[in-house]
Amino acid sequence: MQKRKICMVGDFAVGKTSLTQRFVNNSFSEKYLTTIGVKIDNVVVDDTKLIIWDVAGRDSLSPINTNYLSGAAGIVMVADGTRPETVESLHTLAEMVVEKIGQVPCVVAINKYDHNAFKLDDEQQNKLTSQGWDIFKTSALTGDKVPELFQVLNNAIGAVTSVGEEA
Amino acid sequence: MSQLDELRQIIVGDNTEQLSALKDRIESVEERTRDVSEVLAPAIDATMRRDDSLIQALSDPVSESLKRAIRIEPDAYAEILYPAIAPSIRTAIAQAISSMLATINKTIESATTVGGLKARFKSIRTGVPYAELLLRQSLLFRVEHLYLIDRDSGLLIGECGAEDQGLMDSDAVSAMFSAIQSFVQDSFSGREDDRLTDFKVGEHTIWIAHGPNAMLACVILGDPPAALKIRLYETLESIRIRYAEQLQHYDGDASQFARLDDYMQPMLQSQLREEELPEEKPKLQMGPLLVYLVIAAALGYLIFQALDRESKLSTLHRYFDEAPGVVVTKANWQDGKIVVEGLLDPDATLPFKTLSAHGIEQEKLQLNLTPFRSLETEMELRRFEKELDPPEGTILSVENGVLNLSGRASVIWLLRHDERLRQLQADRRLGLSNLFATDGSLNSYLATTLNIPAGPGRSEALAKLSQTPWVEISFTEILRDLLRSNRR
Ligand SMILES: Nc1nc2c(ncn2[C@@H]2O[C@H](COP(=O)(O)OP(=O)(O)OP(=O)(O)O)[C@@H](O)[C@H]2O)c(=O)[nH]1
Ligand SMILES: [Mg+2]
Repeated sequence: MQKRKICMVGDFAVGKTSLTQRFVNNSFSEKYLTTIGVKIDNVVVDDTKLIIWDVAGRDSLSPINTNYLSGAAGIVMVADGTRPETVESLHTLAEMVVEKIGQVPCVVAINKYDHNAFKLDDEQQNKLTSQGWDIFKTSALTGDKVPELFQVLNNAIGAVTSVGEEA
Repeated sequence: MSQLDELRQIIVGDNTEQLSALKDRIESVEERTRDVSEVLAPAIDATMRRDDSLIQALSDPVSESLKRAIRIEPDAYAEILYPAIAPSIRTAIAQAISSMLATINKTIESATTVGGLKARFKSIRTGVPYAELLLRQSLLFRVEHLYLIDRDSGLLIGECGAEDQGLMDSDAVSAMFSAIQSFVQDSFSGREDDRLTDFKVGEHTIWIAHGPNAMLACVILGDPPAALKIRLYETLESIRIRYAEQLQHYDGDASQFARLDDYMQPMLQSQLREEELPEEKPKLQMGPLLVYLVIAAALGYLIFQALDRESKLSTLHRYFDEAPGVVVTKANWQDGKIVVEGLLDPDATLPFKTLSAHGIEQEKLQLNLTPFRSLETEMELRRFEKELDPPEGTILSVENGVLNLSGRASVIWLLRHDERLRQLQADRRLGLSNLFATDGSLNSYLATTLNIPAGPGRSEALAKLSQTPWVEISFTEILRDLLRSNRR
């Protein structure tokens, strides 16, 4: 079976682990247990096994360990819709990713869409779409847009590799 | 009523009855017991909610009393506890038995193999009991799982190992190994080539061999010998060589790694034998040694054969050359036979006996010899002996390389061979200057054949003939002389 490494990146507590668990186990927990290092899960999507690396979140004290990114076929960038600064930091994150592993397919999840403090203004959204990223307003709590997030990423990777093979 | 009682009555009123009732209640044990029993449960609840002082206070007496109770009535307690502890005991025992079985299996296995024999020998040599050695060997380690992991992505390329290891999903394990790798690198040195190679998880040892594109992680139960690490790297190396192209461009599609198992499986099978590895390493390997021996033997045989053939040829030359009447112009081996070319006098005898004593059998010889007459004196001698059959009193001899027939022979014999003798003398093949006729035969010849009557003439003739070599005798001359003297 075809296998692909996927990395979840984003600031701490934005919901990377929650999104992964929702997608892989269809479960959700209110408890916040910060990820240390990386946690690995896998799930089969369309005959492809996605090995999901749920990397520890970034904060001012601990920048993400970019070594975890190497060999990733695609990236899920996650921000917390209730904390606008986490949306802002997606841009610097993207730079770090590109610097480490080059251009790979990438999707963006603005998470906690269910939360009433969720807020994403047009300016922010335009800035993100201008990067060519697919934006998903997700909720790990309700599961909203979570399958779509991974599905679109997997398709994008498939498209890239088949183009690569033709070339 | 005393003054005090009066005063009390004034202050508290008329409740003496109540007081005495209270007093009774306090003083009566039964009353008190009933009172306490009413509040005991809520009181315990309350203290428990407040803090654990009650537990602390009770723990000692409770455990003491429990001990005593169990000692008095163990069966009853065992019965009560059984449902609670039996399952855990069962699993513990099952585990112990299964691991013991594995050990016994391995022990039996190795007892009946070469390894077992080795251990037996080692036991004799070292004095360590055989069973102990076997157990130690068997318990030493077991390679349980191998993971070939793409270095970049941590994606699993291939794996091999026992199914029931209770490990999590191999893809996750593989990624985890890779993640640990990154974590360690990042935390310790940040340098790319500082790699995590060994770590232990409980009873398991994990060794990771690193290649440029892939790493090979090996999960081992127990304490592996250092030699196993060499094996691990050798395995990775052979995989690296075989799948160089695929490893470099691995994109998660493991189908390109056909027959990868062939490379990994031996690591699992190596297991216990490894213990002997460090000792064996420097020894010459048995396989190659045999090949060397065979080659050496073959070479030796070829050389021996060549020498033997050569020496047989020279033996043949020597004896044929010595033999009279044989001239060898060429002798060589052809299809296992010695082909001899040359000349052979029909009278010559070939030295077959001598040759066979030197290992050259007659049937090994193919003689292409052209007949010829040899003038060698030896041959001549033999030929003349055969042809002339020299009578007694004569001798065939060689003097200065010349054959001579000397002595005295009967006239009859001399006459019979007269022509031949003269011819031989003329050919210088035979000297006859010392060949005389015997007196007796001369006398009878003169008397009977030549009819010379007895008398001085005959005696004179006889005396003369006796001194004249046969070939110089001229009977005509003798007769003429006789006639001349008779006329006188
Ligand atoms: N309401 C709501 N809460 C969420 C959602 N996703 C995550 N959370 C909560 O946010 C907190 C952090 O979630 P995690 O998934 O642990 O975040 P993380 O990004 O993995 O954090 P780190 O591992 O520390 O980087 C948890 O308490 C979650 O319950 C969501 O979609 N809606
Ligand atoms: Mg997390």
